[in-house]
Amino acid sequence: MATPTTAAPPRDTPGAGRRRPRAALGEPAVPYLMLAPAVVVMLALLAWPAVQVLGISFRKLDLGELVRGEVVWVGFDNYAEILTDPVFWSATARTVVFTAAVVAATVALGLGVGVLMRHLGAVVRTLLQISLVLAWATPIVATTTVFQWMFDQEYGILNKTLVLLGFDSFQGHSWFATGASTLTVIGLLVLWQATPFIGFTLYAGLVTTPRDLYEAAAIDGASPWQAFRAVSWPSLRPMLTLVAFLSVLWDFKVFTQVWAIRQGGPDGSSTTLPVLLYLKGISGSHFGVAAAVAVLMLVVLVAVTWRYLRLLVRSPETEL
Amino acid sequence: MRTTRAQRFWVSALGLVVAAIFFFPTYWMLTTALKTPGQVLSPAYDLVPLSVTLVNFASALGKAGFLSFLVNSLVVTLGSVACALAAGLLAAVPLARMRFHGRRGFLLLVLVAQLAPLEALFVPMYLIMRDADLLNSLAGLLLVYVAFTLPFTVWTLRGFVKGIPVELDEAAMVDGCGRWGVFRRITLPLLGPGLVSTSVFSFVTAWNEFLYALVFLRDVDKQTLPVWLSSFKTAFGTDWGGVMAASVVYAIPALVFFVLVRRRLLSGGVSGAVKG
Repeated sequence: MATPTTAAPPRDTPGAGRRRPRAALGEPAVPYLMLAPAVVVMLALLAWPAVQVLGISFRKLDLGELVRGEVVWVGFDNYAEILTDPVFWSATARTVVFTAAVVAATVALGLGVGVLMRHLGAVVRTLLQISLVLAWATPIVATTTVFQWMFDQEYGILNKTLVLLGFDSFQGHSWFATGASTLTVIGLLVLWQATPFIGFTLYAGLVTTPRDLYEAAAIDGASPWQAFRAVSWPSLRPMLTLVAFLSVLWDFKVFTQVWAIRQGGPDGSSTTLPVLLYLKGISGSHFGVAAAVAVLMLVVLVAVTWRYLRLLVRSPETEL
Repeated sequence: MRTTRAQRFWVSALGLVVAAIFFFPTYWMLTTALKTPGQVLSPAYDLVPLSVTLVNFASALGKAGFLSFLVNSLVVTLGSVACALAAGLLAAVPLARMRFHGRRGFLLLVLVAQLAPLEALFVPMYLIMRDADLLNSLAGLLLVYVAFTLPFTVWTLRGFVKGIPVELDEAAMVDGCGRWGVFRRITLPLLGPGLVSTSVFSFVTAWNEFLYALVFLRDVDKQTLPVWLSSFKTAFGTDWGGVMAASVVYAIPALVFFVLVRRRLLSGGVSGAVKG
């Protein structure tokens, strides 16, 4: 990584003649044929399951029904069962708090890292970029095992370090004894993995802001903070919204880390919605109830991101 | 902006600290993997390994089935990347370049599909694969990964195809190229960065994916690396050195992939998809 390129990303210059339709070459079926594979896969494996999940959520579908191939409609029974279950509500609250905390932390840290990269000299910036890429590229499960090892009760480097620094109470301290502590470790893990992407994205946005603007701001006597507010911020804001939105989508659905660390334990006190979904569906074979959880999860997710979703669907990128 | 020497020093120092923090877990994974089992489980404070041994790698690679998990992961991942790229490219060109009925509908389908929370769909997906007799097979998992990564692939590649000046296509057509010729001689060569950034995305998604692999693959010999590694407690006991060695081996293909594409990556990996 000797020469990190900071070239401007390819742009869509909205040229006047850009969308001029080419004369059809007499094969009106061509675009449909080209689209066919992608559309078939998306309809069969995304759209159809999405319809299915709604249908199943109104059915009683345990192993028995599954084996016999029965279709038993139960109306809103699954929803009633879930919505009266305190486990669902605590998992929802936990998931929302976890998501909010992790998203805020990743976006803030990512912004910090992006700004930092812009102000660093080439050598240190390259070092920083290497370590960020390593964090980004290391597979989730590998990172999860490393974090488990660093936070290990007996021989973990964290407890050893804390004891060395004089905090003797951390001798043999278990970081996975309570749900809150377990989720904090998981949050740090997600933070470590997710910050690089956000940092790089925002850095790319920062370096494409023309230098002249900063020079103009300096000539006008702007302090670095004022320059940031007036020059960087306007170009960063849409990107920040986007990465925050993506982070919500990702962090809300975190399953791998939670499951790999303690399977939602101890005693279900780190069970988030995706884990609950897995426990109901696969471990418990209550597919109908699990589907209801999935639908409710989607409802929560859409409610949280509604404003941005609307913006996205209406954005000029979807133009004809 | 003018900065003083002192300011620059502190900024560099901060940069080094942040770099060290992000580097540490990777460093710790590697050094633990290189320690002897006795050194790993020792109360001594040992940030820097004093000796290096490959015994953990030998024991990890020697664990029953490790190589078959590795092969399974590679087959599923590379297969899904190839399929997603092929289908995505086929779809991206008409969506970016051609005019036809229902285009907006296709675009919306792709956009909405991108937002689908796949973790919420595993119940119907499980039933569909069960009915298709693809449960417990790598082909079923591969199909799921293609479906996961396809919307992003189509969307990103469409952005990149649109970024190629249409005048180039026209020039080639004037020179006697047909549609296929334009695609082969103009579009494909200029799509390099787009193909790279989308294949990174598909690769990382499939290589990392855990939930569906856990749900679909019931036979031990069918499993992929992440599922196997997450169950390390039964496979390794408290052999942290072995676990770390296995993690390193699991991380290497992903790291290699990132290194191969690093320049594209740092010069705007998401630029085709994201218009801020």
